[in-house]
Amino acid sequence: MRAWLVIAIAALVLGVLSGVAAYETSTPRETWQEIAWPFPRDGWPAGRAFRCNAVACGGDIEVYIRPKLGFCNCTTGVADDDEVDRVADVDLISTQFVPLQAGKAVLVADMPGRMRTYDLKIGDGVPHGAIGIAVSHRCDLLVAAAQGRGDAAVVQRAALELLASAETARWVKFAMNTQ
Amino acid sequence: MKGGGKLALCVAIAFLGSAGAYAEQQKVGAPPEASNMRLVGTNDLQARSAYQPTIHHQGDRWIAYIGHHGGTDEIPDPVNPMSGKPEPNGTSIVDVTDPAHPQYLRHIPGQEGKYESGGAQMVRVCDGKDLPKGDRSAVYMLRTFGSEAHEIWNVADPANPALIARIGGLKDTHKSWWECDTGVAFLVSGAPDWRTRRMTQVYDLSDPAHPVKIRDFGLPGQEPGSTGAVPTELHGPISTGSSGNRVYFGYGTNKGGFLQIVDREKLLNGPKQPIAENLRYPEISRMPLSALNGAHTTFPMPGMPIAEFSHDKDGKTRDIVMIVDEAILNECGEARQMVWFADVTTETRPMMISSYTVPEASGSFCERGGRFGSHSSSESMAPVYYKKIAFIAFFNAGVRALDIRDPYHPREVGYFIPSITPATDKRCVTIEGKDRCKVAIQTNNVETDERGYIYAVDRANTGLHILELTGEARAVAGLP
Repeated sequence: MRAWLVIAIAALVLGVLSGVAAYETSTPRETWQEIAWPFPRDGWPAGRAFRCNAVACGGDIEVYIRPKLGFCNCTTGVADDDEVDRVADVDLISTQFVPLQAGKAVLVADMPGRMRTYDLKIGDGVPHGAIGIAVSHRCDLLVAAAQGRGDAAVVQRAALELLASAETARWVKFAMNTQ
Repeated sequence: MKGGGKLALCVAIAFLGSAGAYAEQQKVGAPPEASNMRLVGTNDLQARSAYQPTIHHQGDRWIAYIGHHGGTDEIPDPVNPMSGKPEPNGTSIVDVTDPAHPQYLRHIPGQEGKYESGGAQMVRVCDGKDLPKGDRSAVYMLRTFGSEAHEIWNVADPANPALIARIGGLKDTHKSWWECDTGVAFLVSGAPDWRTRRMTQVYDLSDPAHPVKIRDFGLPGQEPGSTGAVPTELHGPISTGSSGNRVYFGYGTNKGGFLQIVDREKLLNGPKQPIAENLRYPEISRMPLSALNGAHTTFPMPGMPIAEFSHDKDGKTRDIVMIVDEAILNECGEARQMVWFADVTTETRPMMISSYTVPEASGSFCERGGRFGSHSSSESMAPVYYKKIAFIAFFNAGVRALDIRDPYHPREVGYFIPSITPATDKRCVTIEGKDRCKVAIQTNNVETDERGYIYAVDRANTGLHILELTGEARAVAGLP
């Protein structure tokens, strides 16, 4: 009887733990819905785009991620905020963006770089916040841009959460040939 | 056919296919591949990765000045056999008076750094007697010093050059243009406060010892204090001088490029404060390329007579700009970078009229290793080849000679792919996180002299190859 009880408790604990683990690994998938790449073809192949709803992320937020292979200073990487302004694909959302403050160092999938927050001007007149992220490996870049109505800090938090998820990191490493 | 037979056939086809691809790999000791071009002489350039060659007629000598990229991971500072010391790659000075026996005269070290981050990639040369305020006995070499400066050296004695001026404090440099008759220089620089790595600093270098800045120039959105999208960076300008009054700027390298046509007089004498309105003022027009292609070299050929149009009442001659993209990635990892011809006769409505690329299948170039695609063209306007034959550096496809007398229908008339040597450096691609490397020639730049010799230099450390035309190609140029 006691053995049965121990087995039952162990099974319960394992079930809870695996449930938590499953929740943690699948959170991005459930919170973030992958959508079609929303921008016209440009010089780089299309990347992946995700949308998070207001309930899960505190606002409708979209994140766009893609590698830019062979677009980086091989030695210095993403050295300054101007580089983020130039490469991070924020201009795909709107060519009119104004940085809110100096950027910060960031690490995405073990790649170092910088991120910066912006105010976006979009035709609907509603204030939009945006974030641009650029990280590098050797001579290659990974860039991400995110936008949402309202506070850029909320957009940043959500975008970083998506980029930090195991599933996204796996894809990034595959796309950047760094796995 | 039974299953076993099919399998055997498949294996045989696969074997032949791989053998065919393998056969295209270059091997040390194998002869060069050539058509209507012949090797005259070589120099190993101390196994330094080479960028821009400029050939200058200096008294009764012909001197080649060759810029270099930084060193490699394996050999950051190659040993200069003349000094016995390791030196960061800089500028090679080679006497090519006898092209069959080039004599290496001097290596001037460049900025410490590897690959694109060091060296002294670019070189232009003017005689002091041509410059309005130059020392008539001097010969001036303008070169980049890595990413941080432009330098001017007196190379009247090319074996003993002397530094005379430096324009520093930059965050990048690239392929500049220097008008020897006026001294005006369009320096590709990265001014520290601009939002782009590469823009233009216009200088008066008529007295090279005392550079005078005229203005900064770039695209609206690149200037200090601007916000929003940043236009793509400059690669290099070419000016037609005070008589032509045009400067042709090539922006982008391998993506989103465009040709910008600028009124030189307005650029030099217009309002200079770097605000968007002033940056727009001298611009006549822009012609965008596909987002998949960049503009590395924009080489003007105004007033070309077009035989096909000779009986037309209008448009018998056309103003042409040859635009060359730069391939960036190894083993065809990007869209094809190639050569384009634009008719800019109506300057506000420039139009692309033709293109040229090396057929990939002619050498399985995507499998040879390294870059395949164009990089740059010869930029000499000496009569021997100007508006007749253009030479294109095509990385692992070597040098290609194009008959451009009818730029609506450019036609390849010769090529030369140098042999690799033990000094030729590998080029790698990453596959599943691991490097896979091959060794192939990487002809990076090509230039010509007034005698008609062709100078090809290699990015993968193979050195300098001096060539001449033969057969049909020689006839196209009108050479005996």
